[in-house]
Amino acid sequence: MQLLKKPRYVDESKCIACGLCAEKCPKKVTDTYNAGLKNRKAIYVEYDQAVPLKYAINPKECIYLTKGKCGNCKKVCPTGAVDYDQKEEVVTLNVGAVVLSPGFKPFDPSRFDNYQYTKYKNVVTSLEYERILSASGPTMGHLTRISDHKEPKKIAWLQCIGSRDINRCDNGHCSAVCCMYAVKEAVISKEHEGDHLDCAIFYMDMRTPGKDFEEYYVNARDKKGVRFVRSRIHTITEVGDTGDLEVRYADEFGEIQVEVFNMIVLSIGLEADPDTVKLANKLGIDLTRSQFCNTSSFEPVNTSREGIYVCGAFQGPKDIPESIVDASAAATAAGASLTEARGTQTKQAEVVPELNVRGDRPRIGVFVCSCGTNIAGVVDVAAVKAYAEKLPYVEFAANNLFSCSQDTQNKMTEIIKEKNLNRVVVAACTPKTHEGLFQETLLAAGLNKYLFEMANIRNHNAWVHKEAPELATQKAKDLVRMAVTKVALFEPLEEAELQLNQTALVIGGGISGITTARNFAAQGFETHIVEKEARLGGQALSLFKTTTGENVQEKLSALVDEVTQNDKIHVHLNASIEGVEGFVGNFKTTVNAGGKSQTIDHGVAVVATGATPFATKEYAYGTDPRIITSLDLDKKLIAGDSALKTMNSAVFIQCVGSREKDRQYCSRVCCTHSIDNALELKKQNPDMNVYILYRDIRTYGEREYIYKEARKEGVIFIRYSVDNKPVVAVKNGSLTVTVMDHVLRRPLEIETDLLTLATAIIPNDNEKLAQFFKLPLNANGFFVERHAKLGPSEFATDGVFLCGLAHYPKPIPESIGHAQAATSRAVTLLARKTIHTNGQIAKVDPMLCSSCMVCVSVCPYSAPSLAKEGRFAGKAEINPVLCKGCGLCVASCRSGAIRHNGFDNSQIFSQIFSLSQVA
Amino acid sequence: MAIDRLTIVSKNNQENEVMPKNVIGSVMVLGGGIAGMQSALDLADSGYYVYLVEKGPSIGGVMARLDKTFPTNDCAM
Amino acid sequence: MAEWEPKIVSFLCNWCSYGAADLAGVGRMQYPSNIRVIRIPCTGRMSPKFFLAALKEGADAVWVSG
Repeated sequence: MQLLKKPRYVDESKCIACGLCAEKCPKKVTDTYNAGLKNRKAIYVEYDQAVPLKYAINPKECIYLTKGKCGNCKKVCPTGAVDYDQKEEVVTLNVGAVVLSPGFKPFDPSRFDNYQYTKYKNVVTSLEYERILSASGPTMGHLTRISDHKEPKKIAWLQCIGSRDINRCDNGHCSAVCCMYAVKEAVISKEHEGDHLDCAIFYMDMRTPGKDFEEYYVNARDKKGVRFVRSRIHTITEVGDTGDLEVRYADEFGEIQVEVFNMIVLSIGLEADPDTVKLANKLGIDLTRSQFCNTSSFEPVNTSREGIYVCGAFQGPKDIPESIVDASAAATAAGASLTEARGTQTKQAEVVPELNVRGDRPRIGVFVCSCGTNIAGVVDVAAVKAYAEKLPYVEFAANNLFSCSQDTQNKMTEIIKEKNLNRVVVAACTPKTHEGLFQETLLAAGLNKYLFEMANIRNHNAWVHKEAPELATQKAKDLVRMAVTKVALFEPLEEAELQLNQTALVIGGGISGITTARNFAAQGFETHIVEKEARLGGQALSLFKTTTGENVQEKLSALVDEVTQNDKIHVHLNASIEGVEGFVGNFKTTVNAGGKSQTIDHGVAVVATGATPFATKEYAYGTDPRIITSLDLDKKLIAGDSALKTMNSAVFIQCVGSREKDRQYCSRVCCTHSIDNALELKKQNPDMNVYILYRDIRTYGEREYIYKEARKEGVIFIRYSVDNKPVVAVKNGSLTVTVMDHVLRRPLEIETDLLTLATAIIPNDNEKLAQFFKLPLNANGFFVERHAKLGPSEFATDGVFLCGLAHYPKPIPESIGHAQAATSRAVTLLARKTIHTNGQIAKVDPMLCSSCMVCVSVCPYSAPSLAKEGRFAGKAEINPVLCKGCGLCVASCRSGAIRHNGFDNSQIFSQIFSLSQVA
Repeated sequence: MAIDRLTIVSKNNQENEVMPKNVIGSVMVLGGGIAGMQSALDLADSGYYVYLVEKGPSIGGVMARLDKTFPTNDCAM
Repeated sequence: MAEWEPKIVSFLCNWCSYGAADLAGVGRMQYPSNIRVIRIPCTGRMSPKFFLAALKEGADAVWVSG
């Protein structure tokens, strides 16, 4: 691959992000990060937390680069990082695989007059609104109109801007994320401003089919008072010169209504970036109707070209957790294709042998950093250094201009060796960004990396007390003293090394479990599948086709064959788990298969226990063979039931057991599934009358196209309200469904030959498994992942991963992606072969332990337990592998038996006590 | 994005490039948003050398522009 | 005599508030210099003894954030 590397005009290795350049830059430029709501300079960082935190010059705006004059930034840069002579370069890279994650383009509403986005100032996009809500945004998080700084009292959100609309914007797809973000923005706005703020969301269908989304939506509506108005927007006009906006809309009965708002937020959709489309064409990969990357249901992250994988919103509009799932899935797919070359291109760092300084008198070195003028411009660093020299145990102190630069690092290593220092304090920026770097310096000098402490005299001091240099110098001295007192008490800490068993255990042999096992095997890992039934396949055995028209049974049996024949995969059928011992890297699980018990040693476990269809008692289910569930209909379609062809009429009822009081969540797949089947029935018999009775149609993403197709093919959609459900009657052999038609406002009686109930997907009984592995379940019985956004495929418990329906209902492509993601996350662990524990963890003194179990009950990571054997049986012990070093047990221990390496009582007290010794 | 720092000029071409005899243990990830970052992290942690390519001056993508994320209302940053 | 200035000791969680205080610096938000920050791994680490010790050592206020 050849890349064009464009110049930054700032040397990244020299830039210390002090910001002097931007302060002196005379050129103001629109800040695209803040959606154009405020200005930045031509030399800039995108935002304070940017990675890398290095400035860059916008060559189109820079006065020097465009006109040859100015040069201010170069003059003021303390490290000489500005380099106007940087040129574009072409970089050629040979790689084994490519992952495309170019993202999406937010829809630009200025292309269309009807949204009035360019005409009226108080019509903003949802992305602009995010910046208005943000504490780092143009209004510092105060909810005001940018135009006149007035606080809005009424805000409207308009949904589907640039989505589900082929008449005006040519985007036929649903952008899948806007309903949810609009609800979120409305709820957060109310949290900012209080209940008196009126928030109204104008929508066609509310689409909240994700995990915990429906609950959030219902809460917003019923508890937070967000108004939801099912409508079509007619026009938006400004009211005189008030800046307020009048919205004319047709309500669900088709009547025109008018309402005035102070501000309008356009919920803009996601579309493919034209640049990405160009790239895709260059790479020769297939795109979908909406120009997203085309993928198949069974290989959701493979592009049409071998060796190129896709993830994120370019694969189709999606939200953060789905992007994260995809991203890991693409990593697995790319990794599996390169297994034989694993580790060949990565680099290993050289290790310097560690000196034993245990028991030695502390010899502390203090390095006070100037950070150019960042610290030295406010704090008298020479005075701080002089002060440090006089502190107890300090053998050496120095000033550094830039402590983090490579030459200073080398110098520090030399000084540590030369002066025989055994503890180091660096007074500089912040440990959050630089602790690791300085620990490396210690390691290079042969010192244990935990004999180090930082004093934060930049971020917490020089930068925030610019107007009070004397007080800041005083504070810097105090901070250095506190750090010196603390570091004197530090001891070298050990990081235990544990071997990781390289075998994986997959619980559940449905499509997710099979996929997981297959991917483990492809990456070279021995895998066991535990399946409770007599055959592999799970719920997919009852499914007919995927939305993209792929035959599920064909693909599934190919997958099952592959897995059964793979000698790295061991399948245990009719099996259940009887007990689990151990922890990450070293689990011992007892599996009972067909009456015989065996113990499997494994390093990781994947929970893929799936879910099950809800057995409803509603709608006369079970009283008549013509009333069936969605899966029953699939079975008829798989069997090629000829009776389906001769029917005159078929009715589907949606949300059977979903989105109700007892089961609030949306089962995600049923809208698409029923529409797929409705279309299949229409295909078999075009004259059949097919009705879908629904509450909101939730064909998210490009599934919207099949909804449109169904309407085109004559499938009749009738909306019902949850308070007024359809009524099913079987009388004199005829089956009728009566539903209140919302538009006609009168009941409609439909006689039908088949009634399909789209029943909810409910979790299996996971209680026992949850206890075995110490995993959390939510109120509905689904497993709770490590993080709703950023950790969707793993548990907080190390070494245990999650995928498929056990997490939440999802269609086949998403289950497969999730399974690949779980594999990826597990492989990142297995690939290490050993686990290094963190040194700064809790440790029990068994002589003091009173076995009260408080530590066992408070620990969120299940690290403490009572020792089963040995001299201290019955006393608490903490597994260093599981301990994250939070200190909760240390603070909770009534006997004072738990010590905390790196944050021990004596060390924290030393800091507190040194407070009063004013410099 | 303000500055297009890295864009693809051309592919090095031909099918045999994609299926070389000696598999190369490195992967290029194009796009440094949340998906690209996660993919790069997973690949690097699995033993592959990763080139993360981003057209802007910093990684983070659209998520970095969001205020908070539901359902937990965590700060997006 | 100079005007009385309070002494504040703050215990900040490494993962959130400590980082937030760093960001206040990056954003150059100015505030009085009366605070001395002690970094802790998690507010779960806080012990009542730390409050008492800080007050005994002359702190006028103790701020725990996480």
